[in-house]
Amino acid sequence: MFSTKRRLAHLASTALVLASLATACADGKAGGSGALQVSGSTTVAPVAADAAEALKADGLDITVATQGGSAGGISQLAAGQIKIAMSSKPLADEDKAASPDTDFQSTQIGSDAVGIIVTKKVADAGVKNLTVDQVRDLFEGKITNWSVVGGPDLKVFVYDKEPGRGTREVLDKYIYGDKKAPAPPESDNFAIVGGNLETRNKLKSTPGSVAPLSTSFVEGHKDLAVVTLDGIAASPENIASGKYPMSRPLYFITDGKPEGTAKKFIDYVLTTKGQKLMTKHGYLTLKEIGK
Amino acid sequence: MTTTLARDAAPPDAAIRPRPSKWVWSWTGAGVFAVAALLLVVVGYLVAGISSGSVDWTALLTDASWSPPNAAYGGLAMIYGTAVVCALALILAVPVSWGAALALSEYLPPRVARPLRMCVELLAAVPSIVYGLIGIMVIRPVVAWIGDVPGGDSLLAAGIVLAVMITPTIVAVSVDALTAVPDRYREAAFSLGLTRREVIRSAVLPLARPGMRSAVLLGLARALGEAIAVFLVVGRADGRLPTSFDGFLHSLVHPGQTLTTKLAGPEPVLAGTSGPYFAALCGLGLVLLAFVAAATIWGTRGQKRGTSDKRAPAFRGAPRMRVERDRLAMGLRLGALLLPTALLLGMLALLVTRGSSAFNPSFWFTSATGAAGGGVRDQIVGTLLLIGTTGLIALPLGFGAGILIGVHASERVARLLQTLTIVLGGAPTILLGLAGFVILSSIMGWGRSWLAGAIVLVPVVIPVIALATSARVRSMPPELTESALSLGLTRAQFIRSVVVPYAWPATLTGLLLGLARAAGETAPLLFTATVFFGAPAFPSGVVESPVQALPTHIFTLSQDSGDPQAVTQAWGSAMVLVLITAVLLSAAVALRNRFEGERWTT
Repeated sequence: MFSTKRRLAHLASTALVLASLATACADGKAGGSGALQVSGSTTVAPVAADAAEALKADGLDITVATQGGSAGGISQLAAGQIKIAMSSKPLADEDKAASPDTDFQSTQIGSDAVGIIVTKKVADAGVKNLTVDQVRDLFEGKITNWSVVGGPDLKVFVYDKEPGRGTREVLDKYIYGDKKAPAPPESDNFAIVGGNLETRNKLKSTPGSVAPLSTSFVEGHKDLAVVTLDGIAASPENIASGKYPMSRPLYFITDGKPEGTAKKFIDYVLTTKGQKLMTKHGYLTLKEIGK
Repeated sequence: MTTTLARDAAPPDAAIRPRPSKWVWSWTGAGVFAVAALLLVVVGYLVAGISSGSVDWTALLTDASWSPPNAAYGGLAMIYGTAVVCALALILAVPVSWGAALALSEYLPPRVARPLRMCVELLAAVPSIVYGLIGIMVIRPVVAWIGDVPGGDSLLAAGIVLAVMITPTIVAVSVDALTAVPDRYREAAFSLGLTRREVIRSAVLPLARPGMRSAVLLGLARALGEAIAVFLVVGRADGRLPTSFDGFLHSLVHPGQTLTTKLAGPEPVLAGTSGPYFAALCGLGLVLLAFVAAATIWGTRGQKRGTSDKRAPAFRGAPRMRVERDRLAMGLRLGALLLPTALLLGMLALLVTRGSSAFNPSFWFTSATGAAGGGVRDQIVGTLLLIGTTGLIALPLGFGAGILIGVHASERVARLLQTLTIVLGGAPTILLGLAGFVILSSIMGWGRSWLAGAIVLVPVVIPVIALATSARVRSMPPELTESALSLGLTRAQFIRSVVVPYAWPATLTGLLLGLARAAGETAPLLFTATVFFGAPAFPSGVVESPVQALPTHIFTLSQDSGDPQAVTQAWGSAMVLVLITAVLLSAAVALRNRFEGERWTT
C-alpha cells in the first residue's frame, strides 16, 4: 500500500521534472505563451505598471520587474530573459559593445529630471543652490558639514545610488562628463541605496542627508527639497530646453523593432492616454519636451 | 496416521508475497544523486564562473577597493564586513543563549521549561525577512540614537539583527546538548555537596561543551549565509576598512558591506555570465561558501565527538562565597532567559499590533492594488504554489537520500553522504538563487518563473527531509532489522516493507519543517521567480510565468517605501507569512510528538 503510493508520488514528480525540462527545451528563447516581461528602471516602473494594468482589460498579460535598475533591464534584455527593458538613461556604447548580437531599439516615452535632494532643514537653513564643484565634493566625501556650503552645522550624509541605476549615471555625467567616475569615497557618512522609493524613504529618515533622485518622487513631500544646480531649477521649461543639467530621457528598449504585444504596449504609452501616465507620475510628456 | 502431518502440496498464494522491489535502489540512488548533483551545481556554477574570466585572487582577498567600472575587484572590505557582523552577532548572542539554555535545562522545572523551549524553537523558524523588517523599523533608529549617527544603517545594526536571528538556534541546540547529559552525573555531583553552579561547572558543562560549541558554529553558519535581513540594514557601502582601533569602533556604526549583501544587490544581474566581473562575483561566492561549509562541518563534527570529552576540570582550590556565587549565577542565567522571552513577546506584540490587517479576512482574499493597497491573495497563492511544487519535487528525493544514508552498510560512506547533505543544507540561499538565475534564466533561457523558484527552493528542503529520515532510520530498534532479515527478506524488500513505513512519519515532519523554512526564503526568489508587478495569481505557463510571493512582497514594501500605508501592508504580509510558517511548524511538531521523530532544530 505504502510503497505503491510512494512509487506513484515518485513517478509523478519525476514526470513533472522531466516535463518541465522538456517544455524548457522546447520553448527556449522563442518566447512561448507567457506574459510580456518588462524589467529595469524603478523610475519608469510606475508608468509601465499603470500601462500594464490598463491593458489587462484588453487581455494583455504584462509583468514588470525592477531587479538591477536600468542596466539590469538592459542586460536581461540582451540575455533574452525579457522582451522590453525600461531605462532611465540612454544606451551607452559599453552596453552595445557588451552584447553585439542584440539589436537595441530605444523608444523614448518621456523625460525626467534628476534632482539633488536635501532635507527641508538643510534647505531652509540656506542650501538652495549647489554648484557642480560643490556637488562633486559632497558625493566624493570632501564636504562633510553643511555649513561649508552655507547650511546648518550638520553632518552631511550621502546616499549614493547603487551601480547600474540610471539616476547614478545621470549624476556621474553631470559631475564628471565623459570621464569615468572614481571608486566610492572612503567616507563614513556614505551609504548605498537601490530604487527610488528606498532612496526617498532613507532621505526622510536621515537628518542631513543628500541623494540624487528623480524630482518627481519628491513632489508632495514637504520634508524634502530640490536644490537648483548652478542657479538652474528643474522646471519643465528648463528640462525641455535641456538647460537643466540633470535631465534625462526615459526609454523602452527592445531587441529589434517592437512587435506583437511589445508593440501594443509601447504604442499605448505613446498615445495621449498613455502619456497622461507620465504626467501622473511627475514626468514630462514627449509633447512637453517638444518631440 | 501417516498423512496427518502432510502439508498441502500447493505452494503458498504467490499474489500475497512481496514483489521484488527493484525500484527501491533506483529511487534511493536518485535521492543521493540529487543531493550530490545539487551541491555540484552550486559549486560548479561558482567554479565555471571563476574560470570564465581571470580572477586575481590576491586582490580579491587583500584589496579593499571594489569598483567594476575601473576594473578593481577587491573583496577585503566585504570579508571584513562579514567577519565583523558575524563576530558582533556571536558576541551578543552566545552569552545570552548559553545562559538561557542553562536556565531552561538546569534551573526551571520541566513544566515551565517545555513550553518555553517550544517558543524558542518557533522563534528559530521565523522567516528572516521578518527579522529584516524589524531591523528596519526598530534597530536602525536605535543604532542611530546610540551611535549618534544619521540613518542607522550600519555593521552594528546588521550584527544586532543577526544576533537576534541566531539566538534561538544556539539556545535550542545547546538545550539539546545539556539534556543529553545523563542525570546520574548531576546526582553524583550534588551528593558531594556542591552548589548548583558548581555542579553545572564541574559535571554538566564538560560533557555538554562539545554540543554547545557546535550550537555556536551552526549559529555562525546561519549568520554567515544570511543575505536579506543584513541587506536591509547594513547600508551596502563598499571599501570601508578601518586603520586604527578608533577607526574600527567608528566603522561599527557606519554603513558597510558583506559578502552576502554584495551578492544580493544588483551586481550579479549586471555582471552578465562571463568575464572578469562575473568571475570576481563568483570568487566572492566561493569564499562565502567555503566559510559556511567550514563552520557547518566543524559544527557537526564537534557534535559527533560528543560526550567522549571527559577531561576533569582543574582543581581550583576551595572557593569563597559559594552560596553567593551560586545565587549570582542563577540570577544571571535566569536573566539571560528573560532576554529571548522579552524578544519573543516584543516581536509578537509588534507583529500583532502593526500587522493587524492580517486579521481582516478581506486582506487574505483580495489581490493587491497599486504599490501598497488591497490584500495579499495573489502573494499567498504564489507562496503556496512555490512551496507545494518544492515539496513535490523534494519529498521523494530527500526521502530516498535519507533512507540510503540511514541504512547504508558502510559507516564511512554514510558519514560522507551525511556531511554532503549538511553542507547542502547550510549553503547560503543567495548562492542557490544566483545559480538558479544564471543556469535556469540565462543559460536555459527560462524567464522568471514559478518552476525556477520552486527548483531553487528544492535544495533548501531536501537536506531537512534527508536528515530527519536518516536519523529516524538509525534509531530503528535492532530487533526489527534482525527479525526482518531472518525472515529472508532481500535488502530491497527490507527497505520497502520495514524501513520505509518506519521512517515515513519522520520524513513528513522533515518535509513540513523544510517547507516552513522554504516559505520564508526571499533571496533565491528575487532573482528567479517573482516580479514587481503584473504576475497573475495563477501562472498561465510553466517556465515563463512569474508569480508573486509573500517574502519578496515584504522585501519590496519594507525596502522601498516609507509611507505608512506600505509599512502597514508590510507588517500585515509578515503576519500572514508567520502564520503560514506557524501552521506548517505546528503540524510538524504535532507529528513529531505523535511519532517521536527526531528533534528538528538542528
